[in-house]
This record gives sequence, structure tokens and C-alpha cells, in this order.
Amino acid sequence: MIMLETNKVTINFGGLIAVNEVSIRVAEHKITALIGPNGAGKTTLFNCISGVYVPASGEVLLDGLHLEGKMGYQINKAGIARTYQVINLFWKMSVLENVLVGMHSRLKSNFWDCLLHTKKKREEEAEILTKAHEWLDFVGLSQYANAPAGSLSYGKQRLLEIIRGLASDPKVILLDEPAAGMNSGEKRDLDALLQRILKKGVTILIVEHDMKLIMGISDYIYVLCNGKLLAEGVVRDIQNNPEVVAAYLGGDD
Amino acid sequence: MFSYLLVNGMIIGGIYGLIALGYSLIYRASGLMSFVQGDIITFGAYMGLTFYKVLGLSIYASLFLTFACAFALGIVLEKGVIRVLLNKNVMPIYIVLATIAISFIIQNAPQAYYGTVTQRFPQVFSKSSITVFGVTNQTEAYACFVVSVVLMFALHIFMTKTKFGTAMRAAAMDPLAAEACGINTSLSTGVTWGLSAGIASVAGMLLGPMYGVYTMLGATLGRKGFAGAVIGGYGNMYGAMLGGMILGLVETFTAGYWSGTYKNFIAYAILLLFLFIKPTGIFNEQAIQDV
Amino acid sequence: MVNNKKLTNALVLAVALVALPFLIRVINGNEYGVMIMCIMLVYIIAVSGLDILFGYSGQISLGHAAFFVIGAYTTGLLNIYFDTPLYITIPLAAVFSAIIGGIIAYPASKLKFHFLSLATIAFGELVFNFLYVSPGGFTKDYLGIQVIGISFLTDYTRWYFFLLFWVTLGLLAKHSLVNSRTGRAFIAIRENTHAANGMGINVHWNKILAFMISAFYTGLSGALFVHLIKYISPETAKQKQSVLFLTMLLFGGSGSMWGPIIGVVILEILLELIRPFQEYQMFFYGALLLVVIIALPGGIYGGIKDALVSYERRKMGKNLPKSGDDNA
Repeated sequence: MIMLETNKVTINFGGLIAVNEVSIRVAEHKITALIGPNGAGKTTLFNCISGVYVPASGEVLLDGLHLEGKMGYQINKAGIARTYQVINLFWKMSVLENVLVGMHSRLKSNFWDCLLHTKKKREEEAEILTKAHEWLDFVGLSQYANAPAGSLSYGKQRLLEIIRGLASDPKVILLDEPAAGMNSGEKRDLDALLQRILKKGVTILIVEHDMKLIMGISDYIYVLCNGKLLAEGVVRDIQNNPEVVAAYLGGDD
Repeated sequence: MFSYLLVNGMIIGGIYGLIALGYSLIYRASGLMSFVQGDIITFGAYMGLTFYKVLGLSIYASLFLTFACAFALGIVLEKGVIRVLLNKNVMPIYIVLATIAISFIIQNAPQAYYGTVTQRFPQVFSKSSITVFGVTNQTEAYACFVVSVVLMFALHIFMTKTKFGTAMRAAAMDPLAAEACGINTSLSTGVTWGLSAGIASVAGMLLGPMYGVYTMLGATLGRKGFAGAVIGGYGNMYGAMLGGMILGLVETFTAGYWSGTYKNFIAYAILLLFLFIKPTGIFNEQAIQDV
Repeated sequence: MVNNKKLTNALVLAVALVALPFLIRVINGNEYGVMIMCIMLVYIIAVSGLDILFGYSGQISLGHAAFFVIGAYTTGLLNIYFDTPLYITIPLAAVFSAIIGGIIAYPASKLKFHFLSLATIAFGELVFNFLYVSPGGFTKDYLGIQVIGISFLTDYTRWYFFLLFWVTLGLLAKHSLVNSRTGRAFIAIRENTHAANGMGINVHWNKILAFMISAFYTGLSGALFVHLIKYISPETAKQKQSVLFLTMLLFGGSGSMWGPIIGVVILEILLELIRPFQEYQMFFYGALLLVVIIALPGGIYGGIKDALVSYERRKMGKNLPKSGDDNA
């Protein structure tokens, strides 16, 4: 089943076409990868799916629901969480609080509950606190729960971003270069982590430069080059595609 | 009646425009908003008073010295406070607040010598009044207008045609790239603050003979100048002048045909309307909206 | 689970708060000190409200005194014109102030930082000029309005307890709010607007909400103030009072429960001390603000907290995760 798809999405910035009629399909409970050289438009497409940019034409569908033109917070509510290429945490909030913010769109307490400290709010707060600690356990950040997010190492910040996204209970999570800045040990763990995320029933769309990681985990791969879709297929097809090898695998480091 | 209001509206508009220029210049050169400008008008008026009346210097010497003092003050503010805060990487609000804090200090300091009473600024020109288009006004009022217009053109030429002006604009746009091109950004932003302060002080000295010199002289004028800058398009030289002019005319005409009591109210209402509906101003100067 | 130490602390605090006005009365021999304490309590509500806006949601207001004055005028005018009972007009004043806050915030919260400062200054001046001009004498004259006060509050000691009740209520609500979904949304917006939007937070709406809550607190504070002092003038809406609120907040430490309290208490005492030099009040504000900005950016509360943290860290050795400013 297709969970997320883009249908001939075009994005331009003042006449410059960044993404040109790109159609991708992300299958449910699978890891789909988006690769391509720098400036190929991968992050731009991510930003379009998550509502930062509005496509000039084309559609973005989550489980059949149109997302194009929706605001970022609405898209999160609809079930898409994301991480960022340049880490975007709430730096002065604690690690735990970052995860709690991630749960925002799933919480039911309204403004008056918050103000009046009602039973509903107290119960919900207790519940999400337990949940948040579970998420910290999930990636091994429990001992940093009360440290400010800004004090974590780069790799741990990436992990925190991932669980902050997962905390919103998404259908799909978009991971933008999760391995960047991780040390080799953390990278090795990432592989297993992605599998555990899948087991939680969350579909993954990933942008990554680390080819070893991508080729090891992806169920399906799309290759973007100069804003256009260059190739798609399973790992073996991509590895054996001469165009891809020429444009990307051979050229890039 | 009409021509009287028109001429007077343009004179006060010219002053607003001159003050607006100072704001635009700082924004253009350092991307910051300074709330000191208004009170530097006050500072200029008191300095002018000191040189011209107390020390008995000639008007040109006084004007030059006032400008020089304000120029120095501007540089000191930039280097001594603003730069220090920028280097400490504080929240932007702290820089805005620092300029407000300084404005309070400047506003209050002259009291130590001059007290709270409004000081009379002696007449500058031997001919006390001039008639233009059948409208008679204090000579200083027309001088003010002429100086505003001349300064605007001079500044525009300085910013666009001279090497130093180009460097200043480059430093504002991308300080790192400008540094890489060998531009001394520290010098250029310092000079910008100096120039803005200099202009405001000249406005203050010209206003002295018309309004008298008192501690709150610049506070309201400063905000009007702000409004002018926003109306024209914040950061745009011609926009500042045009915005100031529009504000001056609107104010004068409301006062003339309706009632003087609503003059300030209308000025602030226009400022808010522009901020809310067309924040880029008449000249559509860069987007200033968030999110 | 009851924390015994916390309970003891709360009891000690309660006893101290109850005893304080009587103590001051005995020491001073009159009620002047108690009146100053009443003003402090009123200001704590206003500054805590400003804190919700600035300290938590990261939006600046340099025109907050306008909400204070709107609150004061709303209750005052309703009483003067319609003789409406105070238990209706005081809450109504706060609500009206919140509505005005919402109307202003709808366009203003989209403005970039500097321009938001400018818009709020213009708003303050607009309110001042409106009340000063008083179209058709609607808001009385430029000198302001006088009210008769609250009948059962016959002395300042009674006022003290009346206000203490409101302050406690206000601070409890603030505490609950900032430790909730809404409060976390505010902080997230302050810390990283872009990411907040990505995490499902409706940034624009929450910014407006913060403005409204803040205006509610400050409006309530103004409504209480006018009955305490029995007088309010349009002058209060001007920038000076707004900057005083902000100075109190920054001096005490923004984004905390104690910061506004510390800021108000210390600044009020300082203001009393410099009363003989009233004409230099602006100079004093300016200098103090500059000192806080340059030397004590976290305010007194922030300074104390930092000191405590580094003390704990030294005591505990290297057990705690390392901290750094590695925010790139």
C-alpha cells in the first residue's frame, strides 16, 4: 500500500526550477530512500512535503489526503513528522521537554485545562511523561533527560530529533541526513534503529549521503539529479544503473 | 489657507524625513533598529545651544561642532554598546532595549545643567522671516527644509556613488562576504551610526529656534520620523523622505481643516496601518514579515 | 506523595507573607510601607503577564502599559457611567484588555522582531493619545479619571490581603499554564519558530494567544491599580511605564515564576529610594536597563540559577552530561 506520494511536483524559486515534476511513492512499513548529489532538490522536496514550500504544481498525498498548500503544523497533525538537515532543536529546553513538544498535536487538553490545571490535564501530563521517558529509552538518551538539548553531542542531537518526530505518532517520518555528524558507532546503531522504527509501524522516507547505510537498509530508492528524477528501483537496480553511477556514485565522494 | 498648510506641511515633513533618513541609514547599514535617534535630536539641540548661545560661537562653527559631537557619540554608541552586545551574541531584543536605555539617559542628562525649563534658542538669521508663495515663516523653518532636501541627495550620492558608501551597503548585506572582499565592516558600521547621529543632531539644532530646546523635544519627533521611515519603506532613502513628507502634510492638513488635537493620534494610526497592512512601505522595501 | 520539605517551605512563606504587613506597620508607624507593598503586588501581576509574552513566547512588547491603562479605564469608566459593581467590572476590564490584545496581535505577531517593538510602541502612543484627546469627553479629560475605590477595603492592610489573593491566583494559573501543552508551545516558538511549526504547533495562533493572556494579566493589574490608587492618568500608557515593566522583568529574570517578583520588589524599593531625585528617574531607568543588558542578561533570577547549577555540578563532579554552547 502507498502511504505517501508526490505526483508531478514542481517547485520553483523566482523562475529557477528546483524540483521538476517529481513523482515518488513511499510504501507503507518500508524504508524509501531519496538520494542524489548536493543541490539535487532532495531537501527542497522534503520541505515541500512538510509544508515549508508550496508546490507550483503537482500533488502531495498522505494516505489519499491532499497536503499541498497546507501549513506545516497541519501536515504534522495529518501524520508526517520530520527531522532537519541542519539540526533544529529547541536548544534551551531540556531533552525531555523536546520530546514533550513533539507530542503537541496528539494532546487533548485544551487551553482551559492548561490554565486551570484540571484533572484531564494532570492525567494527560502524567501519561505523556511516561511515554516521553519510553522514547528516551528507545534511543538511549534517558540519562540526559534533564540536560538542555543544546548540550548534547551532535549525534545525540540527531537521535533526539528523530524521537521528537516519532513522539507525534506519525504515519511517516522524513529523515533528512540522520547520519550526518554521527560517529561510526552511532552510525552502526542507526541501522538497527531504523528497523526498530519500522517495527513501531512508522513508514520511513530518508535522505542520506552515506551510501553504505542507504544500500544496506533501503527497500526502494529514488535518485534525484538537478531537480529531476533520474532513476528509481530496488538497491540492485540502482547499483547497476550506469546513469546513476555516472551522475552520482562515481562523481561524488 | 491651502498654500499656508502646504508649505508648513512640507517644512515639518522635511524634518520628519530628515529624522527618518537616520533610521533608514542605520537599518540599511547594520540591519538594526536604533531608538536613540529621537533623543539625539534633543542632544543636538542642547549642543547647538551650548556652542551658539553659551559659548558664543558663530552659527556655522556651532553647526559643525554639533555635527562632530553627535558623529562621535554615534560611533561611541556603536562601538561601546551595540558592538559589545552583538559580540556577546545576545537576543536581538537586548539591542533594541539598549538603544532605548541610552535614549533615556540622553534625554535626562542635559537637565543636570539646563534644568527642566524650555530654553530659548537665539535667532540664527538676521532676517527673521521670509515669504514664499505668499506664506510667511521663520527663516529657520525654510532653512530646515532646504537642509533636509540637500542632505537627502548628498546621502543618496554618498551611498550609491562613492566607494565608501558601497562598502557600507555591502557590509550591511553580508558582513562576512564584505570582510572577505577587504571591506572594514567595523569602520563602515561605525561611520553609519556616526552619520545618522550627525544628521539627527543637525535637525535638532535647526529645530531649536522654532520650538525652543527642552528634554522631550526629540522623543515625539523621533517617533514621527520612525513612522515616516516605515511609510516610505524602511531602509529606503527616498522612501524616508517621502514618508516623512506625507506624514507632515497629513498632520498639518488634519490640524488645519479638522482639529489639531488628533494630529498625533492620526500619525500613530497611520504608522500602525502601514505596519499591519503594508509593512514594506510605499517603496516596497524588503519583506519585514516573520513566519 | 507529599514532599515534606516543600510543604514546610510553603508554610514558612505563607506565615511570612501574612506577618509582613503588620511588621511593616509597626516599624514604619504608618501604612505607607504597606501601600508600597500593595503597588508591588499589582505590578507583579502585570510583569508576570508580560513575562508570559516575552519570557515564554519570545515576543516583545514596548507598549504593555497601554493594556494596564485599558484595564484601569474600563473598570473606572463602567463604574463612573453605569455604576456597575466592581466584581463585574474588574474581570470585564481584564477580558476587554485581552480582546484588544488579540486584535493587535493578529497582525502584529506576524511582524519581525524590531518591527514588533515599533508596532507596540505605536500602540502605546495611540492609546495615550486617544485617552488624552478623549473624543467627545468620553474618557473624561487629559488629567485622567478618579474612582472611589473599593468600599470594604478600608485600609492598605486589607488591600494587601485582597491583592495577595489575586497574585496567588494569577501565579498559580501562570505556573499551570507554562507547565502544560500551551506553555511548551510558547517556549518552542521562542526557541525555534520553524521547528515549532514542524512539530504541529500553530505558531500564529499561539502567538496571538500569548498576547491575549499577557494582556489579560496586565489589564487585570491595571484594573486593580486604579481602585487602589483611586486615580489613573493617560500618561501611564506612555513608553516610560512600558519600559519600567520590561526593566522589572529583565532585572528579575524573564521566563520564570520568581523573576518578575524579584524584579518588581527590588525595583520598587530602588524607585522609593531615588524618589528625592524624581526628575532623574529616566536616567536611572536607562542606566539600570543598560547594566542589566550588558552585565546580567539572565536577570537576578538567572544569575542565581546559573550559580546554583555550577555549584551542583562542582559538587557532583563529572556525573552530569557536559554542557556547551554547541548550537550550530
